[in-house]
Amino acid sequence: MPDPRKLGIGALIVALLIVLPMMISSSFALSVMNQIGIAIIFALAFNMLLGQGGMLSFGHAVYFGLAGFVTAHVINGMHVDAFPYIPVTLIPLVGGIAGLFFGIVVGFVSTRRAGTAFAMISLGFAELVTGLTLIIVFFFGGEEGVQTDRWVREEWFGITYGPDIQVYYLIAAWCVIAAILMYALTRTPFGRMSNAVRDNPERTQFIGYNTHRLRWLAFALSSFFAGLAGALHAINVEHVGFETVGLGQSAVILIMVYIGGTGHFAGPILGAILITLLNAYLSDVSPAWYLYLGLIFVLIVMFAPGGLAGLIMMHEPIRRTAPYLLWQMAPAYGAALGTSLVGLAGAIGLIEMIYFRSTTVSLDSALVLYGIELDTGDIWPWLICAALGAAGGYGCKMTYPRVAEAYSAAMHEARALVTT
Amino acid sequence: MEVFVFSLFNGVLYGMLLFLLASGLTLIFSMMGVLNFAHASFFMLGAYFAYQISQPLGFWSALIAAPILVGLLGAAVERYMLRPVHRFGHVAELLFTFGLAFVIEELVQMVWGKVPVPYDVPESMNITAFAWQGLDYSAYRLFMLVISVGIFVALFFGLTRTRIGLIIRASLTHPHMAAALGHDVPKIFMWTFGVGCALAGIAGVIGGNVLGTEPGMAIQLGPIVFVVIVVGGLGSLSGALIASLFIGILNNMAISYDFSLYPIFKELGVERNVEGVLADLVNLTTGSIAPLLPYLLLVLMLIFRPRGLFGMRDV
Amino acid sequence: MTPAIEFRGVQKNFGPTEVIRGIDLVIQPGEIHAMIGPNGAGKSTLFNLVTGRYHVSAGHIALNGEDITNRAPHDISRKGLSRSFQVTNIFHRMSVYENVRCAMLWNLGYRYKFWQSVRNKRDLTERTDEVLAQTGLSSRSTVLAGLLSYSDQRALEIAITIAGGANVVLLDEPTSGMSSAETEQAVTLIRDISATRTMVIVEHDMGVVFDLADRISVLVYGKIIATGTPAQIRANTKVQEAYLGTDAEP
Repeated sequence: MPDPRKLGIGALIVALLIVLPMMISSSFALSVMNQIGIAIIFALAFNMLLGQGGMLSFGHAVYFGLAGFVTAHVINGMHVDAFPYIPVTLIPLVGGIAGLFFGIVVGFVSTRRAGTAFAMISLGFAELVTGLTLIIVFFFGGEEGVQTDRWVREEWFGITYGPDIQVYYLIAAWCVIAAILMYALTRTPFGRMSNAVRDNPERTQFIGYNTHRLRWLAFALSSFFAGLAGALHAINVEHVGFETVGLGQSAVILIMVYIGGTGHFAGPILGAILITLLNAYLSDVSPAWYLYLGLIFVLIVMFAPGGLAGLIMMHEPIRRTAPYLLWQMAPAYGAALGTSLVGLAGAIGLIEMIYFRSTTVSLDSALVLYGIELDTGDIWPWLICAALGAAGGYGCKMTYPRVAEAYSAAMHEARALVTT
Repeated sequence: MEVFVFSLFNGVLYGMLLFLLASGLTLIFSMMGVLNFAHASFFMLGAYFAYQISQPLGFWSALIAAPILVGLLGAAVERYMLRPVHRFGHVAELLFTFGLAFVIEELVQMVWGKVPVPYDVPESMNITAFAWQGLDYSAYRLFMLVISVGIFVALFFGLTRTRIGLIIRASLTHPHMAAALGHDVPKIFMWTFGVGCALAGIAGVIGGNVLGTEPGMAIQLGPIVFVVIVVGGLGSLSGALIASLFIGILNNMAISYDFSLYPIFKELGVERNVEGVLADLVNLTTGSIAPLLPYLLLVLMLIFRPRGLFGMRDV
Repeated sequence: MTPAIEFRGVQKNFGPTEVIRGIDLVIQPGEIHAMIGPNGAGKSTLFNLVTGRYHVSAGHIALNGEDITNRAPHDISRKGLSRSFQVTNIFHRMSVYENVRCAMLWNLGYRYKFWQSVRNKRDLTERTDEVLAQTGLSSRSTVLAGLLSYSDQRALEIAITIAGGANVVLLDEPTSGMSSAETEQAVTLIRDISATRTMVIVEHDMGVVFDLADRISVLVYGKIIATGTPAQIRANTKVQEAYLGTDAEP
């Protein structure tokens, strides 16, 4: 019997997903939500490899992208009656099966090894497929990619997938289904043994499991869900280009999942939502967006390998035993946040100004930052930003040890409460 | 015959350039267990530093200073960033260097812009060294070959004939033993990382002006270097040398001969006028698939000899 | 009676070095058989050969009458042979309960199933609780394995080894690094689990060996110089010369 609390949260999420688009009128926001839904499925699929199976792939977009191409061709084929009609509602399954197929074929070779070798092999396959996109024009459509039209015919209840809102509900529904399925997978014998082979492949052999089989199965199932996401992507934007199989796409999903946190099921969801949102709203504002993303990623790898979910879950024992302790920690956290913001403001200012000077052709126009017009030819903005950055950096050096102290003090107290 | 010699020359040249990268990567990998994803980024930094230094000071100063700067930067990265990540394991280290590659690419764009910078072959060597059978051999390419072979020889002698080489080779095979004998292994790691990056930097200095100095150069070359060290056998320097030369020569031969693949398809009973997916394949030439050849080689290697040419151990 | 394990002319070379130089030995079903010998005699290597971790250079090994020479470790494990490790080899990021449950999944027929939950499966829960109780880990079941104390990790090592219900169990130095009180507990546990199994044990603590074993084999430089009951081994002059007489541990 599922936990009633979890059921309640689940029902709340579903209700939220249903009403959310009704409260939002902007079509841009709707398209961002569609991207988030797709990113969540892909991120959870990726984490089946990285978090649960211990396999770091630099090329998982291959299965996402290939499934997208297959989906586009299937839909195009349906338009000219070259393919038997399948309701577009169920087309994501076609993408999933395509992903599964490629995952089974490639996975057989690549999952013979784990760790670093697996990572490099995944990169090699990604490069191979990227190269093929420009050669096999028949399938990949060369540089233009493959266009498609999701409006095939009217399906149940008058759904045509013409309006974006219908696509939103399609993605939301598949997102919920896929998330539930992937969660259920973690509780199966396969899911448990997937963790085992991640922790200790050697011992796994001595309790009767073929480690190659386990990794291969994990790879294939993960590719299925990546393919599902790829199909939804094809339906969503009605175009699949060579970049969907590329290293960039693979890198973004890896960064997303890792920032969110690989150790918890919800981590990739958190990462997918956060990074997609930031990407949607920051990439137009700042040319340095990818630099910031890379820096966040490096900082997470260095200081919080559990990702954001890990940071949150660190506080879970305290919250559970004595929530008031969190309030005691608040001042230290607040001070650290304050100094971080000061430092960030300075660093961002410097980065934006350097970008502005190196990439803007005419220096007549001024850089607008934080709503202020800056003259990058003047020395003052540079001095001020450098000062802010230095002050913030120094402040962080003072405040972060306090955070660690406050945390361990609270943990200590929480532990004392549990034992007495 | 002249095409053969010419492409062999260029193939060896490209191969030696790959080896400059692969040797540093192999040294770092075998000693520290870290696959430095950012290795090609240091190659790129070498090219950009050389461009920046050669503007006021000329190529020869750049040839000396840029690799040293890249090496110092590499050592600093190891000391202050990679070392703290070490305790999280090899996958975390790989992730860190991956993030570093990402950040370096963005930083390069931030400083030097997204378009290629005009880092050119020095005037003094932009001449024909000798002509043979109607084909010109440029002096600069000859110079590249001399430099890369020179470094290979120096590396070889350094590793086999010097005390520090002995310690390095000992740490390659028995890292714990080296530590037990009182060598400061973290320091050796730091300098290995630095020297490995400096080697990549040299490749950047001498290769950047021929291959083009632009922000995408790292991600173009990086995966090929990974192929080299997997095909050569992870951790094997001689494997890396042979794989580098092989891939370099294969690549150049494929491009300069530009064989049509049609005869193969004809043997298989596929005609030129086929429809569908085969239509794209029938008209291929080796030149057009040259960029894919390293990866095809990788896949074949994995299927038939997963340890690579000279691989001694599993990862 | 079919032997539980039979070695016939087993040899192992690492390059030019001969580590196992021709072993012929029969382990009878139900016995506790101890392997003793100085460091580097090849005891652990022998375990690694039986369990498929290393390839045999020459000779044959049979398990319950079936040839298992150079089979893959998982294959041998499925045939009912299980081993523990000298250096603790557990699943660090999983709870104690998970460790034990995973160790029995294959043998209870769950294999690679990905369409069935492991929750609320009577056979799994009961068997896991039973193994945890037997190894004294019941109170630790929710703790992450990596955070256990050393002696609890050693107990978990044994729990994983026996969870699958293998009828032949190899224990590699189960009491190494333990205090005398912990060793005593471990001996009780080993005797308890050996009641229904054939057991081969490598052990340096001679007190434990002579206390537990039905028969003892003495391995020196890759060869067995004597096999017999504890009394026979004690009386054997060759053994005394080669091993017990010079650097016997109390």
